[in-house]
Amino acid sequence: MSAENKQVISREGSTDIHAQTAGSKAVKYILITLSVVFLFVMLVMPLITVIYEAFRKGLVPYLEAVSDPDTISALLLTLEATVIAVVINTVFGLFAAWAISKFRFHGKKLLVTLIDLPVTVSPIIAGLIFVLTFGRQSAIYPFLESIDFMVVYAVPGIILATVFVTFPFISREILPVLEAQGTDEEEAAALMGTKGFTIFRRITLPHIKWALLYGIVLCAARAMGEFGAVSVLSGHLRGKTVTLPLQVEILFGDNKFMPAFAVSSILVVLAIVILIVRSIVEYIGKRRGEK
Amino acid sequence: MYIELKNINKSYGDFKASDNVNLEIEKGRLVALLGPSGSGKTTILRMIAGLERPDSGEIIIDGKVVNDIPASERGIGFVFQSYALFRYMTVFDNIAFGLKVRKMNKAAIKERVTELIKLIGLEGFENRYPSQLSGGQRQRVAFARALAPNPQVLLLDEPFAAIDAKVRQELRKWLKDMIHKLGVTGIFVTHDQDEAIEVSDEIIVTNKGRVEQSGTPIDIYRNPTTAFTSAFFGVTSELKDYKAFKSFDEVDEYDRAIVRPEFVKITKKSEVQKYKSSAVEGRVETVEFRGNSIEITVSCNGSIFSARRSLDEPAVEVGETVDVFIYRIFITHGDSVKLLKNNAVREETVVI
Repeated sequence: MSAENKQVISREGSTDIHAQTAGSKAVKYILITLSVVFLFVMLVMPLITVIYEAFRKGLVPYLEAVSDPDTISALLLTLEATVIAVVINTVFGLFAAWAISKFRFHGKKLLVTLIDLPVTVSPIIAGLIFVLTFGRQSAIYPFLESIDFMVVYAVPGIILATVFVTFPFISREILPVLEAQGTDEEEAAALMGTKGFTIFRRITLPHIKWALLYGIVLCAARAMGEFGAVSVLSGHLRGKTVTLPLQVEILFGDNKFMPAFAVSSILVVLAIVILIVRSIVEYIGKRRGEK
Repeated sequence: MYIELKNINKSYGDFKASDNVNLEIEKGRLVALLGPSGSGKTTILRMIAGLERPDSGEIIIDGKVVNDIPASERGIGFVFQSYALFRYMTVFDNIAFGLKVRKMNKAAIKERVTELIKLIGLEGFENRYPSQLSGGQRQRVAFARALAPNPQVLLLDEPFAAIDAKVRQELRKWLKDMIHKLGVTGIFVTHDQDEAIEVSDEIIVTNKGRVEQSGTPIDIYRNPTTAFTSAFFGVTSELKDYKAFKSFDEVDEYDRAIVRPEFVKITKKSEVQKYKSSAVEGRVETVEFRGNSIEITVSCNGSIFSARRSLDEPAVEVGETVDVFIYRIFITHGDSVKLLKNNAVREETVVI
């Protein structure tokens, strides 16, 4: 390309690029307004309603509703299921992502598809699958009964459902990072005599750290809010197998609106905490990535 | 022989990456594995390193069959095409990595790393991260990292591919000097014949998973023994009908007649051509300045091929009619190649 051509291009490039890409100002404001209105109606208004309804009768009834023993036990069960789901899915997600990105094997595509299954299948169906697998009609039920290990209408069922529904989140976050990275650095480390776990700790983990944390945050958020599959497996035994979302449903069903909103507000607070953690993770991850 | 590959075969599915590969490399030599992409050169390198396993055959290093010895115990340094520097570690930690794995004591590591950083001329860059270095600097760090544990063999996969032309030139010379100074045996993969000729002591030409030819650069360039090598080296052009050019022996069966620019002499009508009776007339098609010479393409007897003239000689112009004399032609038939010399030149030497 001649020098003259280059100059022409750079002169054109110096005219306001936004004018060429973004269209008119009217479009800009219409799009912004639409987005804001949409967010307000879909997100902000419901949030305000929840908080308003929760505190409508004042702080004391709110605290009473929140400190109800059933609610406390629901909160604890939700946290328990979330922590276990996050731990199991982190381990599983790392293994699966590692296997898929680093090895060549038959059925790899199938495995990738299967990992996505929990997000595509309806949670109700997921719940039913477990009821059929571990419930009274199941072939392994007599065995479970003999070791006194109940899955359906018991805490293990709730945990199982939560794990199932949330298991793609972590592996899905790590996979693209591992795939983009390739295996050169690991090979280089292996050639110098580094063994498997050290390679993972020193080379791979620093790469996927932020993706992993992000995945964990998403997984935790989803685990706390899980309703469908848990609802099928829970049996709604108050104080035993009821998680926070189920507790909200029960209170709502009993026409106890204020307590229902009060319990909801706990979930909202948890969600906001997770959003903040997510933003921090994203921010730090991005800054590290730029270095 | 220091490194030997015997009857090596390796397939990826239907693709035969190594087809009965045999090669020998002497200690202390810098050898180029040269071939077009997909010719199996990187596979050979990775098998020597132990990053891939051959399906059959033996890899011998220093008299030992190393097929079952893991990569980390072969005493090999490897420089990846992408350099594969650990991006979350500083230059210092990158070079020190292989030494830390060996549980060397801290003082010794510091001494060795400092020595290597001096060797690659990156003093003051110890605490930089790879992303803060230029391509050439990264390459040198990768080189130092591979050398840190004192390997006997250094393998380099397309070491100069990602570096711009000017720096590449310097690095080639630097690498050659460095390898000879350190006395390690070096093998590097390249698809660039100039690079192979310039840097290596010996070239192994690969094509379609096979070793076509090996030898010193000058030997391979002058005496190609296969059809592939004769066409691969140099700027080759093909003659449609070589028999139309005067005073060559006739060959009954042949596939291609190949000439390089240095086989062709172009003279203006006003200049003296010693072998005028054996020259044919041609028309100048293009004239291009190549820095140290003028490259001319001529059409002659229905073929178009290139030749060079020095800058000191009178200029030729596009469309000019010139005398074209061909000294030599490579004639290929199947896999084999034969060098035909112009009889006009031969007769004269006989007379003298």
